[in-house]
Order: sequence, then structure tokens, then C-alpha cells
Amino acid sequence: MSPLLSVENLRISFPSRQGPVEVVRGVSFTLGRERLGIVGESGSGKSQTGRAILGLTPVSGKATADRLEFDGIDLRNATPAKWRSLRGARMSMVMQDPKFSLNPVMTIGKQLMEAVKLHGGASEARDKSVAMLEAVQIRDPGRVMAAYPHELSGGMGQRAMIAMMLVTEPDLLIADEPTSALDVTVQIEVLRILDRLVSERGMGLIFISHDLELVSTFCDRVLVMYAGRVVEELDAAKMNEAKHPYTRGLLGCLPKIVGDVRPLPVLARDAAWLE
Amino acid sequence: MALIDIENLEVTFGSRGHVVHALRGVSLSVEEGESFGIVGESGSGKSTVLRAACGLAPVSGGRILIDGVPVATPRDAAFYRRVQMVFQDPYASLHPRHTIDRVLSEPLAIHGFDRREARVEQALVEVGLGAGFRFRYPHQLSGGQRQRVAIARALILEPKVILLDEPTSALDASIQAEVLNLLDRLRAERGLTYVLVSHDLAVVSHMCERLMVMQNGQVVEQLTRQALQDHATTKDYTRNLLTASEGFTRSPVPHS
Repeated sequence: MSPLLSVENLRISFPSRQGPVEVVRGVSFTLGRERLGIVGESGSGKSQTGRAILGLTPVSGKATADRLEFDGIDLRNATPAKWRSLRGARMSMVMQDPKFSLNPVMTIGKQLMEAVKLHGGASEARDKSVAMLEAVQIRDPGRVMAAYPHELSGGMGQRAMIAMMLVTEPDLLIADEPTSALDVTVQIEVLRILDRLVSERGMGLIFISHDLELVSTFCDRVLVMYAGRVVEELDAAKMNEAKHPYTRGLLGCLPKIVGDVRPLPVLARDAAWLE
Repeated sequence: MALIDIENLEVTFGSRGHVVHALRGVSLSVEEGESFGIVGESGSGKSTVLRAACGLAPVSGGRILIDGVPVATPRDAAFYRRVQMVFQDPYASLHPRHTIDRVLSEPLAIHGFDRREARVEQALVEVGLGAGFRFRYPHQLSGGQRQRVAIARALILEPKVILLDEPTSALDASIQAEVLNLLDRLRAERGLTYVLVSHDLAVVSHMCERLMVMQNGQVVEQLTRQALQDHATTKDYTRNLLTASEGFTRSPVPHS
């Protein structure tokens, strides 16, 4: 089976006074109908990688790749019309913070139904939206449909956003830190919803996070990024067999509930990792 | 006698008709030299405890005692000489148009300290930045460096107690480790007392000998680090929090 998404030698650069700065430097990977985690620190290029797949690189930036293919469609030279037919309908993205990603002056219901209507199916838009809210375990979908984003808690807002991204039943979902703004217990609930959707609908999921421990328990495969490169690719279950000193350092520097390492090992960054 | 004693603290926000009880009778006591943790989810009131202690939230009931003496409202200069706070977001808690030197000198001027230059330089060295950072602006520093400046600002008045409100939650894991190590070292060197608020059980378990779990403005339970590590909790809420902190599991967490 050909992969859902293949990326080869993805490079993203931004102009600066000192000339272009490459923030993603030759990232390659393929994705099937699975959960792929991308882990890295701030500035490692993980979010830019996710955005480039959806053609959402900021206008000042420049993204190039030897291959960027989604389900047999070459995305590199896609026209705006092509992007419109893909985004939302076949691939979508969940952002980190519902506070900034939902329209503050539109009700949740209106935003949800807008997505359904745009991609066909105006007549059953309301039923579909309510069903989707139920699928993300919102207990009172009627109230949430009529609510504005500020009337919902962070966890509810994030679930509403996930509903909005999934109501069109995309084949690929890119989730950029979807649970970082949430409490641990809510975070686990939201992840369960994503997990079910991946296994039930056979969706491909790219899960971008800074939380190595969470990713290793949730995903099937993990890419570890450092300074714009993938330094290691791992089976999530074999996290403790990580070879790259950066991955090992990241795992080591987390405080644990059990066990008392004092002082915590800190990451000694090696200039050679940049190569 | 405990260094910090908080008895039945109540904080309410809002007025007429719409009243939010942020804290409903919270009591805790912290001994000198101890590190005490407060964990809870957003909205549990954990930060409000610190803010109320510092005079940043309206106290509507209960008492706050330092060394057995009730604190004055508004807090006086003597209080801030002994108790200082470090806030969560290092991007928001430093004045963007003040140099680090000015940020650190201001409390010294307010409290009439001598040898200000030497103290500023020493404080920067102690938090691992070095005197070279004195004339920089916050935007020239990384998140971890800014949080070090915030810690230096708290330390410069030589307080006995430092209230830490999510000191590392805005930082990357590797930077978090550095800041936690710094806090650990400073406490050992200076015999400081910490009250640390965090949503991250692992951070609290690493930093604190005793901790308190909060929910809806109330104390769920108090336990020692050992009890937390042994999962020897008596409350379902704490147990759920512990399970959730250990990563993703496919089977649902039993709800209380």
C-alpha cells in the first residue's frame, strides 16, 4: 500500500538581516494510517513542518521539498483552488489553543456547520455537527452549538475544535500540541477521542508535541527533531532504546514522580548534533 | 511554630449576584526550610493561595501568619523583605523596557539596600547568568534566562520565603531541569523556604517534601512525597491525577 503522505527533503527558510535562516533542514518521512509523533523543543521546526504539509507556511517563509505527496497528489505546486479542496475536507489541523483558533464572535454551531456546508452536505449540516460534538464526548451538544467560544472551558473548546476538524472526515489530521493547554485529566480524555477516531476511521495522525513521555505512550512511531532536523526515528514502545544523545538527554531531564535523581541531569548540547 | 500558617483562608471575587468563591477555607502550615507543594488543575485555586498570601488577591476570611504574627493589609515593606514571589510567565513578568539592571536595582532602592551594584552583579552570578547580562533587555534573553532573572529579582532582597507560581511550566523540558536544579541549590545554600505551585505532579514530587492537592478551592488532601511515590493516597481525585500524570492509557481512568 502506498503511504498516505510522503515527505522528502523538506526545507523551510525565513529571510532575516543576515540572509535566509533555515528552520527546517531536510526532513523526510512517510505516514500511513497510523499515529506519528513529532517531538522537539521550541524552535526545533516541528510546528513549521506540520504547517508546511498543509501549505500554511507564513508568506515570508519559503518551503521546498523534493517530494511532498498526499494520497498521490503532488502538493508542491498545488493551486489555491486545489488547496481549498484538500484543506478541511481531506486534511486538517488542530491548533494548540482554542482561545486563539476559534472565531470569538461566531457560535460553535455556526462554525461547525460552516465547515460541513463548504464541503457539501448543507441539508444535514446541523445533524452532522451535533453528532460530531457527541462523538467528542460533549454531553450537552445543544448548548454547545449555541455557545460562543468564551462561554466554554479550555477542554470543551479544544473538543469543539477537534469536532470542527473531524466533521468533514479527513484522511489526515495534523494536531499541533492539541492538549498542551489542558489539564492532565482532560488531556487524557481528548487523546482517547483522537485515538478512537484513528482506529475507527483509519485516519492518519501527525501528533506534534514537546512532551516526549506523552508521545511515547500515545503514538506508534516518533520522530525526534532538533534544530530543524530529524535526529532519530523510533518505535514509540522502544523509547528507552533511544540512541541519540539528544533523545536520551530529553528523557533523562524530566523529573519523575517515583525515583529521586538530584540534581536532574541537564542536557549538554553538542555542536555536532547540528550537522 | 511554623514559619507560614494559613488558617481557613477564603477568597471571593465578584460582587452582588455573581460571586466566585476561589478559596473556601484553605489551611496549611509550612515549617522553616521546608519545601511545600500545591497541585491541582486549572481553576482549583492553587495560584490564588499564593496571590492571597502576597496581598494580590482579596482575602475575605481566615488568617495568614508569618512567624506567628498576622500579616498587615496592605502588606508592609517588612513582609516583602521576607516573602518574595516568582511568577509563571517570564515573558510577562519582566518590564519590556527596563534593563535587567533596572529590574534588579528597583527593589534594592525601595528597601534602602547599600552596595547596590555589587548586589546586582552577585545576584546575576548566583542564578548562573553572570554580570555580563546586566545591561540587556528582556527581549534579548531566552525564556530560561528570563526566569533566572525573575528568580534573581526575588532573591536580591535576601528573603526567607519564596513563593513559586508554576516557575517552569513555560519552559522546555531541558531548561526546566536547569531551573529546578538552580532552585534546589539556592534552597540548600540559603536555607530558603519554598511554597511551589504546579499542575505537574512530577515537578512537585521532585521539589517538595510535602504537598497538598486542591480542587474547587478546597484542599483534597495533604500528603508527603513518600506517600505520593507509594501511591498511598486516600482520595480518588489524587489517584486519578496520578494515573493521568503517568501518560496515555487506552482504558478509561475510573471516575470518582
